[in-house]
Formats: sequence, C-alpha cells, structure tokens
Amino acid sequence: MPMRDPMLTTRRVFLSQMGLGLGSLALGQLGRAASPAEHGSLGAPHFAPKARRVIYLFQSGGPSQMDLFDYKPALNERNGEDLPASVRMGQRLTNMSGNQATLPLAGSAFRFNQYGESRAWVSDLLPHTAGIADDICFVKSVFTEAINHDPAITFFQTGSQIAGRPCMGSWISYGLGSMNDNLPAFTVLVSKNKGGQPLYSRLWGNGFLPSEHQGVQFRAGKDPILYLSNPDGVSAECRRLVLDRVHELNDLAADSEADPEIDARTAQYEMAYRMQTSVPEVTDMSDEPDSVFDMYGPDSRDPGSYAANCLLARRLAERNVRFIQLYHKGWDQHGGLPSAIHQQCKETDQATAALVMDLKQRGMLDDTLVIWGGEFGRTSYCQGKLTATNYGRDHHPRCFTMWMAGGGIRPGFTYGETDDLGYNIAENPLHVHDLHATIMHLLGVDHAQLTHKYQGRRFRLTDVSGTVVRALLA
Amino acid sequence: MTVRRLLASLLVSALAAGAAYAEVRFSLDVRPILSDACFACHGPDEAAGKGDLRLDLQDGLAGVVTPGLPDDSRLYQRVSAADPDDRMPPKEAHRRLTAADIDTLRTWIEEGARHEGHWSLQPPRREAPPDAEPAGWARTAIDRFVLARLAAAGMRPSAEADKARLIRRLSFDVTGLPPTLGEIDDFLADRDEGAYGRVVDRLLASPRYGEHLATSWMDLARYADTYGYQSDVYRDMSAWRDWVIRAYNENLPFDEFVTWQLAGDLLPNATRDQRLATAFNRNHRQTNEGGSVEEEFRVDYVADRVDTFGAAFLGLTLKCARCHDHKFDPVTQRDYYSLFAFFNSIDESGLYPHYTNAVPSPSLLMPDAAAEAKTGDLQAALEACEANVAALSDSRLEAFEEWLATEPSVEPAGEVARLTFDSVEGATVTNDADAEKPGSLYEDPAFVDGPVGQAVELTGENGVSLADVGAFTRSDPFTLAFWMWTPDVKDRAVIAHASKSWTDAGSRGYQLLLEDGHISGSLIHFWPGNAIRVMTREPAPVETWMHVALTYDGSSRAAGLSLYVDGVPAETEVVRDGLFKSIGYGSPVPLAVGYRNRDRGFKGGRVDEFRVFNRQLSTVEVARVAGLAVSLDDADEAYEYYLGAVDAEAAAARDALRAARADRNAVADGLPEIMTMTEADQPRPTYMLLRGAYDAPGPEVTRDTPAGVMPFPPDAPRDRLGLARWLTSPQHPLTARVAVNRLWQGLFGAGLVATPDDFGSQGAAPTHPRLLDYLATEFVASGWDRKALIRSIVMSATYRQDSVATPEARAMDPENALLGRGPARRLSAEGVRDSALYVSGLLQEHLGGPGVKPYQPDGLWREKNGSTYRHDINAGLYRRSLYTYWKRTSPPPSMLLFDADTREVCVARRQVTNTPMQALVLLNDTQFVEAARAFAEGLLLAADDSDGDRAARAYRTATGREASPKVRNVLVGLLSAQRAHFRDRLDDAHALLRVGESTPSADLEPIELAATTMLASAVLNLDATVTRR
Repeated sequence: MPMRDPMLTTRRVFLSQMGLGLGSLALGQLGRAASPAEHGSLGAPHFAPKARRVIYLFQSGGPSQMDLFDYKPALNERNGEDLPASVRMGQRLTNMSGNQATLPLAGSAFRFNQYGESRAWVSDLLPHTAGIADDICFVKSVFTEAINHDPAITFFQTGSQIAGRPCMGSWISYGLGSMNDNLPAFTVLVSKNKGGQPLYSRLWGNGFLPSEHQGVQFRAGKDPILYLSNPDGVSAECRRLVLDRVHELNDLAADSEADPEIDARTAQYEMAYRMQTSVPEVTDMSDEPDSVFDMYGPDSRDPGSYAANCLLARRLAERNVRFIQLYHKGWDQHGGLPSAIHQQCKETDQATAALVMDLKQRGMLDDTLVIWGGEFGRTSYCQGKLTATNYGRDHHPRCFTMWMAGGGIRPGFTYGETDDLGYNIAENPLHVHDLHATIMHLLGVDHAQLTHKYQGRRFRLTDVSGTVVRALLA
Repeated sequence: MTVRRLLASLLVSALAAGAAYAEVRFSLDVRPILSDACFACHGPDEAAGKGDLRLDLQDGLAGVVTPGLPDDSRLYQRVSAADPDDRMPPKEAHRRLTAADIDTLRTWIEEGARHEGHWSLQPPRREAPPDAEPAGWARTAIDRFVLARLAAAGMRPSAEADKARLIRRLSFDVTGLPPTLGEIDDFLADRDEGAYGRVVDRLLASPRYGEHLATSWMDLARYADTYGYQSDVYRDMSAWRDWVIRAYNENLPFDEFVTWQLAGDLLPNATRDQRLATAFNRNHRQTNEGGSVEEEFRVDYVADRVDTFGAAFLGLTLKCARCHDHKFDPVTQRDYYSLFAFFNSIDESGLYPHYTNAVPSPSLLMPDAAAEAKTGDLQAALEACEANVAALSDSRLEAFEEWLATEPSVEPAGEVARLTFDSVEGATVTNDADAEKPGSLYEDPAFVDGPVGQAVELTGENGVSLADVGAFTRSDPFTLAFWMWTPDVKDRAVIAHASKSWTDAGSRGYQLLLEDGHISGSLIHFWPGNAIRVMTREPAPVETWMHVALTYDGSSRAAGLSLYVDGVPAETEVVRDGLFKSIGYGSPVPLAVGYRNRDRGFKGGRVDEFRVFNRQLSTVEVARVAGLAVSLDDADEAYEYYLGAVDAEAAAARDALRAARADRNAVADGLPEIMTMTEADQPRPTYMLLRGAYDAPGPEVTRDTPAGVMPFPPDAPRDRLGLARWLTSPQHPLTARVAVNRLWQGLFGAGLVATPDDFGSQGAAPTHPRLLDYLATEFVASGWDRKALIRSIVMSATYRQDSVATPEARAMDPENALLGRGPARRLSAEGVRDSALYVSGLLQEHLGGPGVKPYQPDGLWREKNGSTYRHDINAGLYRRSLYTYWKRTSPPPSMLLFDADTREVCVARRQVTNTPMQALVLLNDTQFVEAARAFAEGLLLAADDSDGDRAARAYRTATGREASPKVRNVLVGLLSAQRAHFRDRLDDAHALLRVGESTPSADLEPIELAATTMLASAVLNLDATVTRR
C-alpha cells in the first residue's frame, strides 16, 4: 500500500500545497503523496548523480558484435573451419543450430577500421557511429545467462528471466521520482513498422511496483500517448467546462467524505489536462530547424521511425524526462546476415550518432547517459549454410558488445576483450547485473539499496549480485 | 514519527489487548512486541547484535525469562526499569513500550512464558469473542473482536452507513455492479429488520456473484487467453474460467474447489468438471520460441505450478526455495523440490508448437452434447467394422485353403515409391514404383556402395525427399521399408519422416528415428501426450547394413505399429499409446529421408532401397522386401498374407473399416480441447536442481510436503490428491486462514493479513489474529462454505460502518487497519468499466464463453508482434470485463492503467493507484464516451420534468446517492452550458454522437443528446462514481 505523507492527513494542508501550484507536483508522485519533485521512494539519491537522465537505445534481436565492433581477423582466416570443441567447451547452444552437423566459423563480410584518438575498431556498417568513437565507451565483454529472446530481453530489462519484476525504467522512476511536472518520468518509444522478434509490454511494466511507474509509450499518430485526445466533437473548451464541474462536485464530496484521495484525484485530472497540451508540444517537431533533421537523417521527418524517435528522445530529455527507452527490432539475423544487418545499420547509425552529438552540442551529454545494445550477441559460427557471400549467426549469450556515452561514462575507452574467435571472454567479463549496477551508480543510486518488499522479500533490479564497474566511470 | 511507525505502535498497543482474552499468547501477543521494540538489536541481524542476546530465538529468550516469575525475569526487569538508563529499549532506539505492552509481557511470564513458533504455522485456535464496549454496537462475533482491538487503541467504531450507501457497497462487493434505482428504492422502502439480510441473500444468489468472485481467482490462477512469452499465441482456457464461475455460483465447498483444481483427475470416477478444474495448473505461460531448450521451460512451468500453489493456497513464498533454502520460513530447497515432484509427472512438453495449433498435452476433450453423441455413433460404427475384420480370421479359411492349393507366390502389393538410388539425374531420383512421382536430392548427398547398387550417404543436413508420396493420415495403413547403415550409436538421428519440424511442430506427423541407438517409429499429433510410438528393444548394430520396416494398420493405436529388422518382426516396447487427433498439417508435407528442420539428421548414415507402400505389409511381404527367401509354409503367416493382400472380401472389410475410422477421426480431430492435468503412467523422477537450474540436477527427491508447515498424512496417497488432502485437512495451519483472509480482502480492500500471499515471517502480522482464527475455524466448521462466510462478514456491524472518517481518526489509523470505519476504495479495473456499461444500459450479460474483444487503441498488437487486434462489432464490445480477451504481452491498456495485473504470474493483491492516465481513459476512451452517450439516451427517454430531475437521475444512477441541491445546481449548470456550446457547434454534436459502434436513436435531438452525453460523461468521471464507500 502506498505510503502517505502525514502532512496530507488534512485536506487544508493538501490544498495549500496545491495552491503552490500543481507544477510543483511530479507526475509519477501524485498518486501517492505530494512529495516534492525529484523525490521517489529514496527521498534523494544515495550520492551525487553524474547522470540525471537515461536514453536507452535497445537494439532488439541481438546485434552481431563481430560484424559491428568486435574485430576478429582470425575468424576470416579460419572461415569455414568447424568451431573447435576446445573453444565451445560443451557450452549449450540453441536448438536452432545445436543440432547442426557442423558449426563452421564465419568471418565477417565487412571491413573494419580504427577511428578517433581512441583508435576504436568499427566496421564499415557504422560510419556515423565511427565518427563519435571518442565519445563512446565500448564494452566488448558483456555476457548474459539466457539464450532465447524472451528470457534474454526480460532479463536485460528486469534483472530476471521470470516475468513479474519491474523493469529498469520503473525502478528508476520508483526510486528517484520525476523531474518534471507535465510529462511522465519514464517513456517508451518503439520504432514503427519493424518486423522481427516481438516485444511485450512486460518490458516496460511496473511488475510489483505501483502502476504509475509503468513506462508510458509515446507513439506516432493521432494520440501520442494512449487516450490523450479528446473524443471527436469535444473541444478543449467543452472539456474544460466538464472538468471544472467535475472538480466542483469532487470538492463537495471531499468536504463530506474527508478523504484526501479525492483531492489527489482532482490533481490527477488537472495533470491529465495539462498533458493534453504538453505531450503534443513535445511530439510536434515543427519547431526543429532543418539542420537538426539533416543531422538525424531523412527518416527523422517520419514520425515513429527510429530516427524520429531519437530526435523525440532528445526533446523528452530536454524536458527532463528521466528514463527514455527506445526499442528497435530486427537484429535477429539467423540467416542472410550481410544484407539484413546492412539495412538495420542504415536505419539506425546516423540518428544514433546524431543523438549523441546533439546532446553534446546542447551541453546535455554530460548528465545524460546514452546506452546502445541488445539482449545478447551472435555466434562466431554460421547457422545454416555458409557460402562465399552469405551466412547467418545464432544467439550467443557468452560475449557481446554494448556501448555507452555521456552521463559520467569514460569516453573514448574500450573495456573487456574476447578470444580470437570472439566466442568466449578473454578479459574483464561484465554481467548484466554489473551493467545495471553501474547504470544505477551513475544515477546516484546504490543498486543494493533500491529495494521493494514484495512477497516476503526485498527485491532489487540486480537481484542478489551486481558490481559497479569503476573502470567505466569517467 | 512516520505514519508507518505510528501505525506500528498503534498495532502493538492493540496487540497488548491480549488482556481482553483468556490467555496471552506468545505468537499473537508477545512476539510482535519484541519484534517491534527489541529485534533491531536483539534479533536475526547478527551485525547489529548487542551483547549476544537473541530475543528472536527460544534459547535466547529462555535466558532472560523465568516462567511464572516476572520480577525475577531480566526481560521484565529491564523493560519496566524505573531508571531511564536501565530501561529497555534504550532512548537512542526511539522505540517505546506502552504500559499495556509491559503488562502483556508480565502476564505472559506469569502464565508460564509458553513459547510458540510463527503464528501462522500454529493450527488456528478458536477463542471466545471478547466482551467489549460499547455494548450493543456489536451485531456478530466479528464485531466483538474488532471492538476489543479498537478499545485497546483508544478508538471507537463508526456509526452505520446510510442505507443507500450500504446497498451500493454490498452490490459492488458481492456482484461487482451497482444497484439499480429500483433496487435502492425497494431497500429504502423496506423498513423491516431483515431487509438488509434479504439484499445480501439476493446478491449472493445472483449469477453475477460468480463472475465477480471469479475475477480475483483468475488473478491468482494467472488466467489469460494467450500463452505469454514472446509469440503469445491464442489458446482457449475459457472452459476453466466458466467452471470457476459455476463453482462459485453453485457454492462448491472450498475444500472441494481446491481439491478439484489440484487433483480432480485423480478423484475416483472423475467427472469432466473435476478434470476440467485441473486446468488451474496449466494456466501458466508457455513458450514456442524457436531454439528454446525444451527442458528449461518445462522446469519453469512446473516451478510456476509450485509457486502458484504456494502463493494461492499456502500464502507462502515458496519460490525463494527454488534456488536455496528459504531464508525466513521453514521451507528448505529439498521441500521445494519435494513439492515440485507432485506437479512434475504429466506427459507434457516444455514448448508448444508454432507450426500447428495443437493443444499441448495432457488435455481434455470438450465436446458439446451434439458432438459427443456424434462421436459416440461413429465410434460404434467403427467398432462394428473392426468386428467384421476380426471375424475374417475364421470366415475366410475355406477360400484361403483353395487359394493356397494354387501354390501362389508372395508379391508385395501397394508400392507407391521405390528409390534404389541407382538412377539419379541432377537432383531427381527415379521412383521405380511410380515414374511420375520421383524423389529429389536435398543439398547433395553423396553416393556410396549399398546392399543393392548405390546408396546415399548423408551429412545430417542433407538427404532425399518425396513430395507427392506418403501423405498418410492416421486412418491410412502404410509401410516404410529400407536399408540403413549407421556409423555410430546415435543419441538421436532422424532417418525418415513426414513432418515439419521437431519441437517447433510438436513432432506432428510420422517418423522413424534412431534414439539412444534404438529404432523408433511414431505417429504424432503432439509429442508426447498425443502420439503412438514403439521402439526396438535391441539397439541397431553399428557399421552394419540392416533392413528396417515400419508397418501401420490405421488404428491410431500402438498395437497397430510394427517394426521389422532384417525382414523379421523386431521385439518392441510401447513408448506411447494415445493418439486421438490428426497427424497432418492440412496440406501434405514431403516424406523426407536423413534430415529435418532444426533436428539432428542421420549424420554419416547411409540409406538404400527406400520403399513406401500404401498398405500394412504382412510378415512374409516384409521378409520378401528385405530380400529373404520366403515361403508360405507357415499357415498363420500365409493366412495373414492372404487376408492382407489377396482376399477381396477381406479387402472390402478393411476398406469399410478405414472409411469408418476416417469418419470418426474427421469429427474427433475437430473436437475442442483444453490443457489439463493427467498423471503420467510412470512418475517422472524429480531431482533437486542446484541454483534452480534445469541442467544442474542434484539428489533425487520424493513427493513430500514441508514438515515445518504440517507433516504429510500417513494414509494419504503420494500424489496430487494426497497433496490436496493435506492442504484441506482441518488441522492445516494455513489453508483456511489464507482463504478467509482473501475473502476478507475482497470485502474490505485489505486483508486481516495485509500480505495475502505471504503468511511467512516476512509477511505482515495479522491485525486481528484471533478474529482471523475465529473466521478460519468457522469456515472449516461450516463445510468450507464461502457464501456463508461472506454473509457472516457483511452482516457484521464492522462491515456496515460508515466510511467517513474524522481527520483525527484518519491520522491515527490512515490505512484503517483497526477497522474503525467502513471500507472505501476505488473500484477495480473491471468495476470501473462494468459499472459504466451497466448504468448506461450497454452491458451484455450472459455467462461464459471465449474471450471477447472490446475497444482498444489501434496498433498495439502490431507494434509488438505484427498481429492485428480487431475489436468485436457486437455484444463482445459490451460484455463484463472478466471476459475481455487477455493477451499477456499486450494486455488491454485501459485495464492495466486501472491496476489490473498482467496475468503472467500469480498475483494475490492488486495495487491501487490514482494517476492522470486513469483520467484520460475515463474521459476519452471510446468505451466510456459511448457509454456516456448511451447513458444520456436513457436519461432522455426517461423524460424527466426538468434539467434538475435529469441531472439528479444521472447522479443517482451512477453514484447511488440523491443529488443534493448543490450537486443538482452544478450539474444543471453544466447541462445548460453544454447545450449552449453545442447549439453553436452542431457538427461537434454529430461527431460526438458517432463515437462507438452503436448508433443513437434517431428520434433524439442531437444537441440535447450531445449536451446530456457530456453531463453523463462528467457523472461517470466523478469520484463518487468510481469509488465504493
């Protein structure tokens, strides 16, 4: 049961707080108490945060690290050779390639070069990302436990393969609260019209946390968020007339029932009314100059595309939305990888890099953490038939590459290493829980201390483990 | 002091009211005081430990307590010390004991200082309800417990709510819908003493009661219309949901309700409903994601059953013990897997197929009466044909003798394919039996010398396929015969099959495999529970050419499957014998040799002389095909051959049987089916899984219950039925308490234990432990009668209290834990929507049926997995919300926003939040806008005299209350403002009236209707409408 502030026990005190202006109330907080903005369950961060916001560019399906970042010339040299048992070491495979008669190593079809002062390796697939190499921290040694999409992506977003736990954005909203007064603390943007492995609302679900912490999805089309627009025939003026009378009647009820929940409801209705203005204002990009659209690429003029979502993410970040979660599907290349990954990169590379540059130009990169990555990586052996020009790769949880930028992350740095065949981690393994712990650390949160008691146990995003990886910190 | 602290001390003081009872009890009265005031330093946290004194342990306590002598007990001396420097707890602990607390400790020591374990693990003990003031307030025993607690906290109960409020409260709590104006008026007019009780009885007798109560049971049972995980395909479990509604309405005793769901299949002469009830254990999520490891997910499903069993019935969080011993409660990891063993033995797969829509086994067929009669008739006709065929064993002897006298030879007939691999052109392999239907090479297999000319040699990823041969149904007899050579002992290798895949298709089709070195032949609808399979007892020899044949008689029975090795019948064992649905895909799939999608092919294997017959070959025919010299000297073999291949009358009888089987199967294949529990013939061994991982088995365990809760009854069977007996034993410490608490929660918003799924030591302490025990023991004594229990609670003065609280009372007890006022809370997601539909006259009421699709914003399914949601265009838009199609990966957002849970896992209690998104739903969702318009139509048709009357009717219909003059004025003002607004905007009025699929009456004037629609919308948005007080 939500805890109420004792100050709220009388209606008068509450209303006098409201008199200060609803603007001082955070959206994510109203349902529970009129705590000052910035205050989630923690009251205040555990220590000074480096990052105030997070933009998480989730590349769903499992991008192929050895075709993008993890340069493995040995794979090309040994192209076609069976994966040595000494490398596989009996580790499990999925049942898609696990029953294959052979597991031929597959070199990358793409050229790699080193970029920036940091001399980071990036393939030709990502020219724009290559251009921001010195702003990025690559982690080449991320590993996870799950080998199939659903468990893996659920694990990445909630710290558990088992359904029912809150996702990272919900934890952050719950722990730190909102930083603005007319937008949700946690928003979700899904690229439109993308095939590929399904997504599920569980990924932005609140689990056992109060439902005001569920991610609010922003979508292209008439209603940027669900149910936002007045019905046909109901003008803003007409709506205002109704709301005023509803408030008047609720005020009468509040007098007779002496229940502060009624006043809270009135405040929610006012918030809803203001969102009807503030949400279209943030999604209407007509005030952006052409130079911005040029930077994010032509797709950015197409609402709902990945590029447009990157630009929208920047606008949300400007308005102090705390956690902005993007999803882009389509990285699951079991077969026909060379052409399919090319298309994925075309859709994402320019806008991704533009977002980082844009934040930097606006001085926001310092306190905005940008995260890029999928739920697992891909195998260095070929799934299906290996030909001179074509190959596919199966799911590979044992090592893959992610990158982060801004928000207190060490720029121009590469952490961790894989073996020559890119199959196992050679140095500095980084578990998903470690990643979560590190992200929370950047937000000023001790991951072990942000907990919620449910069914007799204090749950946390990092379950019972997780170590902050200090080497990643600026 | 925070509210929580304040509340905690309030509760502790109240607990000190043990004085009102005959005996101060350690678990109920003493431990909570110690826990709150002392455990922080003298408790389980070793790091914070002071002076090594552990008051949470019996031994530690014994060292500071002298039974019978409080003044000699150091515990009492310290808590009652006059000198603040000596007194415990110390000042810096900021915890204070009240005089009543200290008295309780004293009394407990005086009475002998009897120690008890955790309260919820002691069997419920019925104590006499205490006497309490104000005398006369109490109506029932419940009230006396509540009063005593209030009195101890220095609080008084509230007066009874007015009648209009009471009937609305009752109607929502018992049926989920508000009262009609007529029902309110009748109740107000009925001044008889029994009026209230009659309303209670009427509501409990309403079929809506079952619908309303079923909803929270569906939360516990994680009921949904889709499998969950990622593909999240539709599955129909609605027959189970409808049974739950029936069970509530028929007031099935709770012990039976539980037993049927856990173990209905194991009851003697189990009825269909009893079997159907076990679908409870199959409501968990399932996956079909390609490449998943089958066992990983099967283990997860079993674990979900155990976790749900724990949370729903025991109120214990067993899932902690999946990976390690429970840190707080007496449940070890061994206990967890001992429970797991009860749920581990059904013939299931960890994956449901994505190439078919087969219902995962085990399952129950759900024919309606007509289908049942029809299958019965067809089965009888089939059996008559079988009898005719069986009679041939005598009746054709004479003709046989005549034929035999002609010295016939053995010529296998019915050959449809014969691939010798000696004639190959490009990828085309000549079919010597039918030149029109050649075979095709797949991915270039090699050729080597075989027993007869060339053979193919396979890599595991290549082979041969026949596109136009071998599309056999389960009523078609057929034979496969070939030479094979395996290079090694295969764990698994696909030799020949007609199917799309392995687990991805539930193995549907027919197949011949090497498994653990043995040859198996199968016909499969869904592996493992809907299939037949036989396997050779002897392993196949390595690096040796052998001849193999599989014959099948069209019976759908394992006895009709035979394997031959080197021309003679092989000894086989039956692996599965239960095929009751189709083995086909609707369109033919090729018969393939050597490889299969995402399966292990025949790597390094060789195959030659691959032959297919559309008959079940007889023994001598198989021998002949295997190249053996055959004779007809053996009379039995000769007669078998004669009947099978020569005699026309026998052929006619078999054709008739085949037709009868096809007829029966055509109906049987389409029968509705639902996943249920059916115990496998052999219990599956269960192992402790280290760290909970499916691939890390530890020691084997046997079925058992946690001894720390209650030992397993010695005379009960070690199966789910025995488990249900254990659970429903009147001595069980948890079952009745947990059930009663949840029903209480349904009426009061919070349980007497605030954590309905955690009665363990980390859960909330009961606010009224003796009341809980009183109700639990009453419940058992009543024969687990849920309607009687609900009746007894709502008849109490406690339930009937007004919900208005003074600021002081609210400050003292913000959560109403002590029940000093009536319960008030926002309606559930279902309640908000259903009541709007009901008052607007749109609600379509009939019980049961598959999930329906009301309005939902466009594109939500598409952006997640590319599927399309199309809302219904008729009654499905307006059914009660428990029937709404529940897609787990994209649940209806308007429901989630009102705190419905996602139905992915068992949930015993929903959150209650208050958010701007809820306002947007009520104001803008098509469902509510259309409901407002329909509501407005009803108001206009009621033809009230004035705007004021219309407004008052709207207000009273939605809120159940008379509109005060002030309320009337506000609403009349709104109505006239809206009228003026739409008068200038006729287009807006028309646009508003077009919202939704239903069409407003053309007789109604659009401006008036639009203005009244906005009035109705305002009323539907009122706190008084969406809150039940």
